[in-house]
Amino acid sequence: MATKGAPATIDQSWALRAPERRLLLSVLLIALLGYLMLLGARPKDGFAVRLVDWAPWLVFALAFSGAHCALVAARFRGDQLLLPAIGLLSAFGLLAQFRMGLFGEGVPDWSELLLLPLALSLLVGVALAGRNGRYALAGRANWIWAVLSLLILGLVLATGQRFRGAVYAVGFITPTELLKLTLVLFSAGFVNLHLKALSRWRSVLPPLRHLWPLLAVWGMVAALLLMQRDLGLVVILGTALLAMLVAGTRHPGYAAYGMGLAAVAGTALLSLFSHGQRRIDAWLDPFADPTGAGWQVLQGLSGMYAGGLWGEGFSEARPRYAPIAESDFIYAVLAEELGFAGSVLLVAAFAVLLIRLISLSARARTPYGVMAATGVTTVLAVQTLLNLGGVTKAVPLTGITLPLISHGGSSLLTVFTSLGLVLAISDGEPAKPRATGPAAKRGRSKDTEKRRAGSRAGPRSAPHAGKRRPRPEAG
Amino acid sequence: MDLLNDLFSSTPWSAMRAGLHLAFGLALVYWMWQVYQLRSALRLRHLARPRAWQLPAAGAVILAFTAILGYQATWQLGGTARPQFVAFMQSHDRRQFNPAHWIQRGRILDQRGRVLAESRNQAGAAERVYPYGPLFAHIIGYADPRFGLSGIESVANRALNGSALDSLDDWSELGRLLLTQSKRPRGQDLVTTLDAGLQRLAMESLMGAPGPGRGAAVVMRPKDGAVLVMASAPSFDPNHLHAGLFNARDPATPLLNRATQGQYPPGSAFKIVLTAQALARGFSGRLDCPADGYTTSRHYRPIRDHEYYSAKRAGRTWVGRGPIDLTTALAQSSNVFFAQLGVLAGHRALAETGERFLFNRSIPFAVAAAGDLRLQAGRLPTISARDRYGLAQASIGQGRVTATPAHLALIAAAVANDGVAMRPRLLRDTEPEALARLMASGDAKRLRVMLRRAVRDGTARGIETEGLEIAGKTGTAENPHGASHSWFVGMAPASAPTLAFAILVEHGGYGSTGAAPIARDLMLKAAEQGML
Repeated sequence: MATKGAPATIDQSWALRAPERRLLLSVLLIALLGYLMLLGARPKDGFAVRLVDWAPWLVFALAFSGAHCALVAARFRGDQLLLPAIGLLSAFGLLAQFRMGLFGEGVPDWSELLLLPLALSLLVGVALAGRNGRYALAGRANWIWAVLSLLILGLVLATGQRFRGAVYAVGFITPTELLKLTLVLFSAGFVNLHLKALSRWRSVLPPLRHLWPLLAVWGMVAALLLMQRDLGLVVILGTALLAMLVAGTRHPGYAAYGMGLAAVAGTALLSLFSHGQRRIDAWLDPFADPTGAGWQVLQGLSGMYAGGLWGEGFSEARPRYAPIAESDFIYAVLAEELGFAGSVLLVAAFAVLLIRLISLSARARTPYGVMAATGVTTVLAVQTLLNLGGVTKAVPLTGITLPLISHGGSSLLTVFTSLGLVLAISDGEPAKPRATGPAAKRGRSKDTEKRRAGSRAGPRSAPHAGKRRPRPEAG
Repeated sequence: MDLLNDLFSSTPWSAMRAGLHLAFGLALVYWMWQVYQLRSALRLRHLARPRAWQLPAAGAVILAFTAILGYQATWQLGGTARPQFVAFMQSHDRRQFNPAHWIQRGRILDQRGRVLAESRNQAGAAERVYPYGPLFAHIIGYADPRFGLSGIESVANRALNGSALDSLDDWSELGRLLLTQSKRPRGQDLVTTLDAGLQRLAMESLMGAPGPGRGAAVVMRPKDGAVLVMASAPSFDPNHLHAGLFNARDPATPLLNRATQGQYPPGSAFKIVLTAQALARGFSGRLDCPADGYTTSRHYRPIRDHEYYSAKRAGRTWVGRGPIDLTTALAQSSNVFFAQLGVLAGHRALAETGERFLFNRSIPFAVAAAGDLRLQAGRLPTISARDRYGLAQASIGQGRVTATPAHLALIAAAVANDGVAMRPRLLRDTEPEALARLMASGDAKRLRVMLRRAVRDGTARGIETEGLEIAGKTGTAENPHGASHSWFVGMAPASAPTLAFAILVEHGGYGSTGAAPIARDLMLKAAEQGML
């Protein structure tokens, strides 16, 4: 395999991925500590702990160990922090969901338990399939993604059921979650295809002649989503589209127009949709109707207040009093049980993941990679911020789940697949034989030099090479 | 597994669980530290140099997270500073360990230490209890998670919840509570100037008075503005609030605090103000008061004295009062006299008097850190200079002039306090504060003598009681809604007043029969208790 920096043998690969392993082992330990706390509370509730109660933790541990081994075996050279960060957040998710009894009481619920291994195998599968620059193939098929997005929406609209102000498909699956991937892939592919035209503005107006197919698809999606009253998803996808446009074309005008459009559309929509206006009202003054509109957020905040600075520990608290605690309000449960100190650490874990994602997006070698990774990152970031902000009453409630932690099959699969895509992008591009540039000659320590067995491509192989300055201590 | 079950059921498990909790947190910190340690090994050398937006984007994420955590802290750690939030948790949070359940909201006491409001723990939730039920509903108010706060409960809320951070000690106490997660925060008790005994008597008398049993009574100490009674009937029970109370368009308007907000034509009670104006302008002498009354133009119905109408009803003729002086006119409540007096003084004089007597204002009282309650002064709209009949009507407290019971009590208290109105106080520990001088000290003394005559041998002689020395003015205010409103405004004892009052009975008929007896009963009771 002619990939630069890729380990030649399994042994080298094992050694190369040691940091990932160390961090993952710590994650398993953290999960174990929390798990013991949870199990310890069971006899008090009248349940004896049985061997089968260990199943969720074992499945969790095996799934992440397996993912790591698969990456080692495939001699994957991509990012090593992503998987541990995902693991840490999934550990929080495991604990919170086990806490809420979602894995079944007594008899393990295998459809829930096997969701994580399935999601992780998707992640690893996408990462391995897309590595070495092959992820760019997804960009070739960008109209497929557009059609798929619209099909999903049409399907949901046709068969969906209305529940809690939004439309769900049969069996409370939310296929619209998939849009977070398909629409990102479509937009990244489309902008990549017309990158030059879209980067050059003739006047203060964006190049609409090239932009209109994107706007048309996006407008249709937004309209269909609004018909389902899914304002939160519109916000997430809209922000992601803007971030991708700005990151890909490097033209700040998109951000300016986007924000202006968002302000206009936001006020117009809020005056049209009583649903949104009610949520704004409940956000501004939850005490106007504390037992109705303000109930959810106030119960969540009450739990947090009860948890205080240090929290009562897992399973001591009674988070069942918070409504929809297992999905939208799971952060309130965690903040209640782990206290403010614990929620700072949880948010820090999110920050580690998101900043790593930003860094990977900012360092992808191709514009398509930049845009796809930026899209995934923005979706995750906006979703996280909207959820945390909504639960803490910093922003209005949008009914959005907390990625990686909230309970929800379609959401989990989409997020893991998207992260697999970023992992694939972090693997870099295939080496170009003649491209050994001056950077390879720059001094670096010998052992790191030895570790990279393959030839090293010069930075000039990257599209933005012309703008690069020499890297200070790039190793 | 048995071993594990035994361990989980054993006594040291709770300590071990706390240890696990700590270890969990430390392991998280360790993980972060590990990421930091491994940062060089985690570098990706085969990727491109970061684009310029990497740092701003990462900074934005960190900023957003910090903002959210900071805001979360204001709820999670500083929740006590949000009164409505504490009230919500106290009645809607079923978590037994929520510290809000242990906040002992301070009690509200009357001047003798009788409990007007207290919090009791019932089934794990704190419940606010008002032992006197509807008696103090308007002035003490309520603290309800659903309906919020009102009255003193609202104004003094922070002190009651123990979160009035007035001193450095309070802040360090808050810090201690945060760190130790103490379960027993405690609010301050508040002592009011109110008197439960007098209040009960006032309320019962108002409900039992002639008419529909509506009205208001205010009793104040003129020297320091302490409010002993502030009753408004009908009332509601703050122990049993329900949405219907707030939505229904009940014509009896039980939520309205008639004492501070109810605007009524003052009728003859307004003659106190006119007399003060005449004294200030140095009026002396007599005005002729014929039986067929006084009018500014023959197109308007003459203003007559009530004796004319009584005689007419009885089929007799009344000869009129003839020329009388100010003292007699006030004692006999002569409309003809005061209508002429007001017109003689003129429009500007009345407007100035209204200004000096604090009309057309909202006067803060019971001032506390979190806000104040307000009493509405009466309304004295500008009367057009050409409208002399309107001036004549206003001079006898009819037409467009209105007053609230609390405002008239304030005026009576100023007369009793040598012309100086003290700001009404409800909390014992607030400093007395002069609000305004309404009249010269000498005028106030002369006015007291004249008001005393009105009780001794004037319109209110029916309530003259040995030893009380009540001075006051009756009012019988005609209104378009039915029988006249009955007023009695005054003070006792006249020579050195210790209490001033204003009583209003809606549609209670004559002031001398509706309101005046209530004032007498209140003064009798006050004298019994040594407050007079």
